[in-house]
Amino acid sequence: MELAEEGVPPVINLTELAEKEKEEFEEKVSELIIEFGAENLMACMQCGACASICPLARTGFEWYNKKLIKAILVGMREELLDDMTPWACVACNRCTEICPRNVTPFEVMLAMRRLMVEDFALPTLTIEGLRSLYEHGHAVYMTGREARKKVGLPEKPPTTDSDEKALQELKTILKNTKLAELGLIPME
Amino acid sequence: MTAEDKPRIGVYICHCGENIAGAVDVEEVRKFAEKLPDVVVARDYLFMCSDPGQEIIKEDIRKGLVNRVVVAACTPRTHEPIFRKACEDAGLNKYYFEMANIRDQCSWAHWHEKEKATEKAKLLVAAAVAKARLLEPLEDRYVELNKDVMVLGGGIAGIFAALDLANAGFKVYLVEKSPSIGGNMAKLDKTFPTNDCSACILTPLMVEVANHPNVELITYAEVESVDGTVGNFKVKVRKKQTYVDWDKCTGCGACLNVCPPKARVPDEYNEGLSTRGAIYIAFPQAVPKKAVIDPDACIRCGGRWFGEEPRKTKDGKPILAPCEKVCPTGACSRDEPRDPNGELIELNVGSIIVATGYRVMDKKHFKEYAPDSPNVITALQMERLISATGPTEGKLIVPSDIPKYLEWKKKIEKGKEAELEARKPHVITFVSCVGSRDERYHTYCSKVCCMYMLKQAMLLKEKYPDLEIYISFIDVRTPGKDFDEYYMRCRKLGIKIIKGKIGGVQRLPDERLLVKGYDAELGRPVELISDIVVLATAMEPNMDLKELARKLGISVGAEGFLKERHTKLYPVDTMTEGIFICGCAQGPKDIPDSVAQAKAAAASAMSLLAPGKMKVEPLISEVDQEKCIGCGICENLCPYGAITLVEVNGSRKSKINETLCKGCGVCAAACPSKAITLHGFTYEQVLAQIRTIAAKKVVEV
Ligand SMILES: Cc1cc2nc3c(=O)[nH]c(=O)nc-3n(C[C@H](O)[C@H](O)[C@H](O)COP(=O)(O)OP(=O)(O)OC[C@H]3O[C@@H](n4cnc5c(N)ncnc54)[C@H](O)[C@@H]3O)c2cc1C
Ligand code: SF4
Ligand code: SF4
Ligand code: SF4
Ligand code: SF4
Repeated sequence: MELAEEGVPPVINLTELAEKEKEEFEEKVSELIIEFGAENLMACMQCGACASICPLARTGFEWYNKKLIKAILVGMREELLDDMTPWACVACNRCTEICPRNVTPFEVMLAMRRLMVEDFALPTLTIEGLRSLYEHGHAVYMTGREARKKVGLPEKPPTTDSDEKALQELKTILKNTKLAELGLIPME
Repeated sequence: MTAEDKPRIGVYICHCGENIAGAVDVEEVRKFAEKLPDVVVARDYLFMCSDPGQEIIKEDIRKGLVNRVVVAACTPRTHEPIFRKACEDAGLNKYYFEMANIRDQCSWAHWHEKEKATEKAKLLVAAAVAKARLLEPLEDRYVELNKDVMVLGGGIAGIFAALDLANAGFKVYLVEKSPSIGGNMAKLDKTFPTNDCSACILTPLMVEVANHPNVELITYAEVESVDGTVGNFKVKVRKKQTYVDWDKCTGCGACLNVCPPKARVPDEYNEGLSTRGAIYIAFPQAVPKKAVIDPDACIRCGGRWFGEEPRKTKDGKPILAPCEKVCPTGACSRDEPRDPNGELIELNVGSIIVATGYRVMDKKHFKEYAPDSPNVITALQMERLISATGPTEGKLIVPSDIPKYLEWKKKIEKGKEAELEARKPHVITFVSCVGSRDERYHTYCSKVCCMYMLKQAMLLKEKYPDLEIYISFIDVRTPGKDFDEYYMRCRKLGIKIIKGKIGGVQRLPDERLLVKGYDAELGRPVELISDIVVLATAMEPNMDLKELARKLGISVGAEGFLKERHTKLYPVDTMTEGIFICGCAQGPKDIPDSVAQAKAAAASAMSLLAPGKMKVEPLISEVDQEKCIGCGICENLCPYGAITLVEVNGSRKSKINETLCKGCGVCAAACPSKAITLHGFTYEQVLAQIRTIAAKKVVEV
């Protein structure tokens, strides 16, 4: 969030947000989030139950579930695209269990990630993860092949990474997803 | 005193579960009571008021063991009637009963000082016994009741109260201040929580009540004074001068359009969003549909007033006012003089139901919300703006362009071609709790505004999906049946909620409005530009409510609405017997609650009046005219006006009206010659109690 000089939170101009949603974008961010899977978004009454148990809210992330939903409802598209909170969601789904309105806040987080991917608004770490997924079949890939060798293990673990056929299959799958369309990572 | 009459007192001490026994040593009190003079038996029981408890008392009476009863228990306010009834059922005169309140005054007051509580209980029992020795048998009186009822106020509450009574066979006078019944509901477009059209459900009821054979509708009238008491109220009602002969007026409306522009004033029905002429019919569906002339607005066309000779044209023809001229029935002819004070009539009724409703606060008080902008309106004005009977026939335009709309309409009506150049709003913002929950105005919550804001937003959004609608709430209050579901429906429509009350509205040069708020959910200040700002202004008591309450002898609460006798148990009763209240005159509420209260008030009046007579306790004052010296002190002191001084054999004597006396005892205490006896609280009885307590033992008076 961009802070004004004194640390005073800047005023949110609702008219500007609404006008942008109408004029610049084809769809409202709330409509997109619903399309991307958070079907019950509009039922949120901002009770805060989800935020009370969300690890993100407890560790100082700005746009944890409840607040993210509110920001979506008023159309704060740009500010949200600049924020990395959705990538920090640990998918614990406690929010989904607790929500009295069946909003499934975790689905909102996921939908927000999808929207961010579409807008290329994702952290480099994520790109690395995707590249690694494509190349090795692991989103989080361990380094230290030398260390493996030293203790007498094969260089590559006995997973997709060491199974050329499986890896090719995975690449084919990925090439057929939206990922290829977006061109986020090189896919030969 | 025969042996038969000699007091044989039974003392019955209640444990009230732990309520009394927790602090008072009941057995000690019982033993003490046993030894008091004239006491023949003292018993205790866990709950004296329960069936078996009462049976103990009745058994002792039936066996002839006791002929006076003292119960030491809780408060006589709630329980005295119960024990009196038990005595009566067992064949004892129920005024041979006395009660000592050892719960409120002993155990509760001295919960941590058990010995003192017990000592005090003993004293109170001794005092009650001292009084019981001197009790006299009294007989209940009956007064005849007039079965007719006056209902004040013809809003939805008054209409329902009148209809229920009339259907049950009671004669009802429905007295309404304005020219038509209908009240505020007549101004609403649709009504939550079902969104049915207000006029569609209200107007049939208006017609039904007006045509009911048992209802006499008296509109354009106000109460001038009220005398008498329950069963026998005499009400003076002033019928205001209509300046139109209602026997002749057919409500054709021919006069409305000829009234000149100079005589036009803000239209009450449209909450000032349009104007009406000096001669007007309240609204198109008015009941009765009759015209009245507003004498303050009338500019005396033709240069004459009622009863004055008409001026003449050069050729000697009389110059008539345009309304007179156009009226096909001669209803507004100015030939006859008319009394500006109207007519005073007197109604005799047994009961009165007050259903005079509320008004909404004007926007002018709220300088922070740019009240001088025509596009800042109250929610009631919004109802008119979206109503098909409103100033724009329900066409949604910004209020600042209503004059343009009216111009355009006039042209079209005259068959001219014209283009309507009124701006349509794109953004509408609702501001909650305006004047409610605010120490500067009213501390109460007006209860219906959250719901009507949601309603108006929903109606607008459903009709115009492109509208941006913001509602600001301190918190959303939707506690009624189906109400929260209604709220969710609004959320799902995409109406945007600002969590927090708007703090400022600024009028912009283009007649739009800059709205400044703070959203607690985002934790940041927000602002937006709105075409219309709707203020949910508080519902408040009518200006004249306090004065009306004074005339009726009922009270208003700190917030100014009529006060019920008991919030929970007697919600439609007042401290004055025979007068009931319902609807928004009692406090802000919605239509379902107003109707429920109206039906409750009607039922209360029915159960009071149906027997045709009413039992009155004989605990009232009586003058011994032998002793009275005619000083008149009592006459001035009596708060109920029950005392008059009369001539008896050439000297002035005080006389008490039995139906008016409430037994307060002020006169008896003040009479210098002890000529007044308050039955049930005679000098001897009260003194015996006081002296017993002072001497800590029963003393002879
Ligand atoms: C903007 C707005 C929207 C609303 N929308 C809804 C809704 O959608 N659904 C809902 O349930 N409720 C709604 N309400 C509430 C609703 O208006 C009230 O619940 C209802 O009108 C109360 O009826 P009443 O008969 O008690 O009072 P009123 O309607 O005020 O009627 C009182 C009558 O008494 C007359 N009167 C006043 N003083 C005297 C006097 N001294 N002597 C004789 N007569 C007198 C008045 O002229 C009037 O005719 C809304 C209120 C507002 C302000
Ligand atoms: S728990 Fe559900 S309703 Fe409550 S704030 Fe979170 S998403 Fe909204
Ligand atoms: S699933 Fe994500 S948003 Fe929901 S509680 Fe867990 S971390 Fe928070
Ligand atoms: S023209 Fe005459 S009859 Fe018609 S509404 Fe006016 S006063 Fe009544
Ligand atoms: S009903 Fe709602 S808007 Fe009205 S005063 Fe109460 S909380 Fe405020």
